Amino acid sequence: MKVPISWLNDYIEISDLSVRELADRLTFSGVEVESIDEVGARLDDNFVVGRVVSAVAHENSDHLSVCIVSDGTAEFQVVCGAPNVCAGIMVPFARVGAVIPGGGFKIKRARLRGVDSHGMICSAAELCLAEESDGIMIFDESVCAGTPLRELLPPPETVLDLEITWNRSDCLSIIGIAREFAALLDRPLKLPSVDFVESDAPVDALARIKVEAPDLCPRYTARVLRGVRDGVSPLWMRRRLEMCGVRAISLTVDVTNYVMLETGQPLHAFDLSRLAGQSIFVRRATEGEKIKTLDGIERELNSEMLVIADAERAVAVAGVMGGEESEINREGSEDVLLESALFDAASVKFTASKLGLATESCRRFERGVDPDLADFASRRATALLVEHAGAQVAQGMVDCDSRNFSNTCIELSFERVRQIMGVALSDDEMLRILESLSVYVEERSSERALCVVPSWRLDLTLEADLIEEIARLYGLDKVPSALPRTAAVSTLDDSFFYHRGRCRELLLGLGFTEAMHYSFLSAKELDAFDKRNVSGRAVIPNPVSADYGVLRDSLLPQMAASLGRNASRQVESAALFEIGRVFRRDDQGAIHEDERVALGIMGPRGRAAIDRRRPVTDEEAVLWLKGAVEALTDALHAGELTFKLSEHPAMERGWCADIILNGECIGCVGLLAAALRHHWRMSLPMPLAELRLAPLLSGVDKIAVIEPIPAYPAIKRDVAFISDSSVTHHDVLECIHAAAPEELTKIELFDIFVSKEIGKGRRSLGYTLSFRSTKRTLTDQEVNESFVKIVRTLKEKLKVDIRDS
Amino acid sequence: MTLAELDKLQADSLMEVANAADAETLEKVRIRYLGRNGVVPAIMKQMKEVAAADRPVFGKNVNQWRKEIETAIAAKGTEVSKAPSNKVLFDCSLPGRWHTPGARHPVSRVIEESAAIFARLGFSVADGPDIENRFNNFTALNTPAHHPSMDESDTFWMGGDQLLRTQTSPVQIRMMTSHKPPVRIITPGRTYRRDTTDATHSANFHQIEGLYVDTEPVSLADLKATLAYYAREMMGSEAGVRFRPHFFPFTEPSVEVDFSCHVCRGQGCRVCKMSGWIEIAGAGMVDPRVYEFVGYDPAKVFGFAFGFGVERIAMIKYGIPDIRWLYENDVRFLAQMR
Ligand SMILES: [Zn+2]
Repeated sequence: MKVPISWLNDYIEISDLSVRELADRLTFSGVEVESIDEVGARLDDNFVVGRVVSAVAHENSDHLSVCIVSDGTAEFQVVCGAPNVCAGIMVPFARVGAVIPGGGFKIKRARLRGVDSHGMICSAAELCLAEESDGIMIFDESVCAGTPLRELLPPPETVLDLEITWNRSDCLSIIGIAREFAALLDRPLKLPSVDFVESDAPVDALARIKVEAPDLCPRYTARVLRGVRDGVSPLWMRRRLEMCGVRAISLTVDVTNYVMLETGQPLHAFDLSRLAGQSIFVRRATEGEKIKTLDGIERELNSEMLVIADAERAVAVAGVMGGEESEINREGSEDVLLESALFDAASVKFTASKLGLATESCRRFERGVDPDLADFASRRATALLVEHAGAQVAQGMVDCDSRNFSNTCIELSFERVRQIMGVALSDDEMLRILESLSVYVEERSSERALCVVPSWRLDLTLEADLIEEIARLYGLDKVPSALPRTAAVSTLDDSFFYHRGRCRELLLGLGFTEAMHYSFLSAKELDAFDKRNVSGRAVIPNPVSADYGVLRDSLLPQMAASLGRNASRQVESAALFEIGRVFRRDDQGAIHEDERVALGIMGPRGRAAIDRRRPVTDEEAVLWLKGAVEALTDALHAGELTFKLSEHPAMERGWCADIILNGECIGCVGLLAAALRHHWRMSLPMPLAELRLAPLLSGVDKIAVIEPIPAYPAIKRDVAFISDSSVTHHDVLECIHAAAPEELTKIELFDIFVSKEIGKGRRSLGYTLSFRSTKRTLTDQEVNESFVKIVRTLKEKLKVDIRDS
Repeated sequence: MTLAELDKLQADSLMEVANAADAETLEKVRIRYLGRNGVVPAIMKQMKEVAAADRPVFGKNVNQWRKEIETAIAAKGTEVSKAPSNKVLFDCSLPGRWHTPGARHPVSRVIEESAAIFARLGFSVADGPDIENRFNNFTALNTPAHHPSMDESDTFWMGGDQLLRTQTSPVQIRMMTSHKPPVRIITPGRTYRRDTTDATHSANFHQIEGLYVDTEPVSLADLKATLAYYAREMMGSEAGVRFRPHFFPFTEPSVEVDFSCHVCRGQGCRVCKMSGWIEIAGAGMVDPRVYEFVGYDPAKVFGFAFGFGVERIAMIKYGIPDIRWLYENDVRFLAQMR
């Protein structure tokens, strides 16, 4: 909310304080000053009133004029681009050497399309008097050429732009802010005059009011003003409205807006002659009822919306916006019905959001208007219209009052205040602070006080609210920073956090960098990966955009996209992981979440740095990632890990395997399908894996039981053979184990290759077998016997050709 | 050979060692004296030619001599090897060959560091689902019935009562409804608001909230000390905190918390917009109405709560200018977090 300091000064004496001081006092008592704006500018001596002696069209331009301007002592030739320049008018004139405020440029002698120009005729915008202007500013003829502009124009003003928190609806007015200062500075508040003389004509005879929906309108007041001479508002009022961001329209409307800004009470003025039956009905709209609002748009209403209607039709949407047909007509003199009412906050909010309207009026009603304010604001507006528009006020006010309002009483415990603030504040000091806020103490004992809250502080309902008031006015900077004096141990179990952290740490050690993606993405991206369970997706009804339309049910699409994006940005290789949640909707519509780990590799990441030119094969790429999964599960003591060939729509056929942990499938690993990979023009295989986190972490707390270091040496034998490619590593291990004695403690694959010599569909495998006993040193002879038996079994069962070493 | 001759030979040999200028010469000296066919083994073989009476002394001297030469050669060897040589065996400028570890995401890093800091103050980590309900996310947090944060334009409603949590405070509600005081937790986690993404806004972000509720008095002063400790640990020992009154539905009094600017140390700079302070957190004393919602007796418990954005801390601490960088996953950015 914008608050011009000069306006504030009408109600509270603050002229002795600097703007900075005022802003800090407000900010540190809870009303944040977002910015301090200067409106208008200091003008130097080169800005004077000029008289346009002559103005002729420029020869080489269809929009420029060549003028002669007199500053009272000399005449200057000036080229001017404004359409409204003509001979005889008095204008603001900047002589050569003047510095234009705001932009800061200095007026110099210039040559415009071949004509010399010595100065500039200014618009209101150029003088920082308005946001924008259509042409140059024109003074009335009473001013003298040569008068410094400084003397004619209003002095520069400072406007505070405030952020009013949701609870402080009482601060949505200049008087509200003045009240804050009254409390902060302990100075008296001066309220504006609301006095006027009433005529003899009773208001009841001039207008009839009926509130048919008192639940949505607890109070409706109306005054009738006759013979209102509408027209242009006085300059000071227009200027104040403009400084607050409200456009000046005409005197009557301006007064209602002015009083709303001043007091916080939204008002509305109806043209009484245009109200059918000279009556007002406050009622719910009929379903489908239409009204053309002041913004010229025809709006359809429903029966939950409150309207102000005359005998025939709705003439305003209550608390939100007036209707065009009962609008005050700027020409001539008329009779005005001035509405000052209290509308239900929820109802106004509902209606405004349904109609997509956000007016200054509904902003105040939504957040709560002082229930006691209607009459004061009505009087204030009336007084202004009497003074400036010559209005004749009908006697009395129609007041439909069904309010059930009494001031809130709150019991305050002095000790509780001290405990919560952590400050040894005296009882008297607390009550002094509350009284400065117009919170009156009705009763007081040695331990507590019964406090009565003023009507405008709708936010004060509990003891805690009063404690907050005391704390903020006492000054939060004075609250000491006590050393925490709490027990250092919390007994709550948070192992899940540290287990997840352990998994993250291991992945980092394995060379994977942590990625993080949004929880939502587009349906299209998910479709490209997996369309098997579209109905189980959690679609967001009101997404920010279709790109973020669905909660993810897999981490893989974004993982692949990030790796692909890195590749397209000339990153040679990358290994990423993400730990994140996925979402699925069940048949009943409930959404379930699960935490997963995704892994992915792009480029020759598994290779040594100087071996990266050789093409990466499908097999080695997928084995890198398999290796990472194995290392991770091993280090997490997750249990027995196996892999089983499977299929996944996003994976290359034949290059995907389920990850099976302790007999349960917890995810899959494979190569991204070539079609998806080509989307990022990637030639190298991209291995991806996704695993459920919970089973991975199930053994993380397991304590390792140490086995003794082998006491006897191992004897090693190598065997290399050529076999059919259909013979898997797993087959070989099984075969060897079946033939081996218990002393065979380790089988390691040390070599694998294919070549032309070996032939198509065949490969060479080499294994090192380690024999070791825990009881004695084995002899060469017994190892040889076992080895021969193993080799023979391999030949017989797997039909391998043993290679001579 | 006599003992005198032996002495002379001994002196000569040590002189030769001392004079060897490079490793090659030294090796020649070694071979001449100690090699298989060297002087020392040869003399040993000639033992029988030595007078019988001299033999024990002779033998002892030869052995001693051998040790002296060996020691001298070894010492000289180290000296010679230090001498400059043009022959490079190890190009130590070659890139090393070991894999580099990965880098933690800045968001994880802030969360883990924060958890460690608060753990030292006795706070446990608590977690809850991303999908929440109206009661936990709004009602129990005393959100006014018409508060705009509940609007469709601000919150992702997911059908029925379900929504994507807009803050991690519902975890506080979950913890309080399931545990008796004292409850001392921080709740890091992912949160969602219907913001259009730009340099400082993201519809998907993270928060850390803290809650301490006890049956003993807990005051604003304790809150200030807790956040001051966090500020120092997270942003450096000179960081300070400042409270400004504010409004949040679930705390009363409510404050906004500024940390003194870690870049300029409060002098004023671009990062802190010349104020010397950076707005970091919202905090306050838990509103008694929240206690009523979770079944605590408002008259018998005291507590504070605070909350801040993880991305904001990461951006301020690491000088990240745009929140979108955190979700772009460009490894050239991520790798810098090692
Ligand atoms: Zn700074």
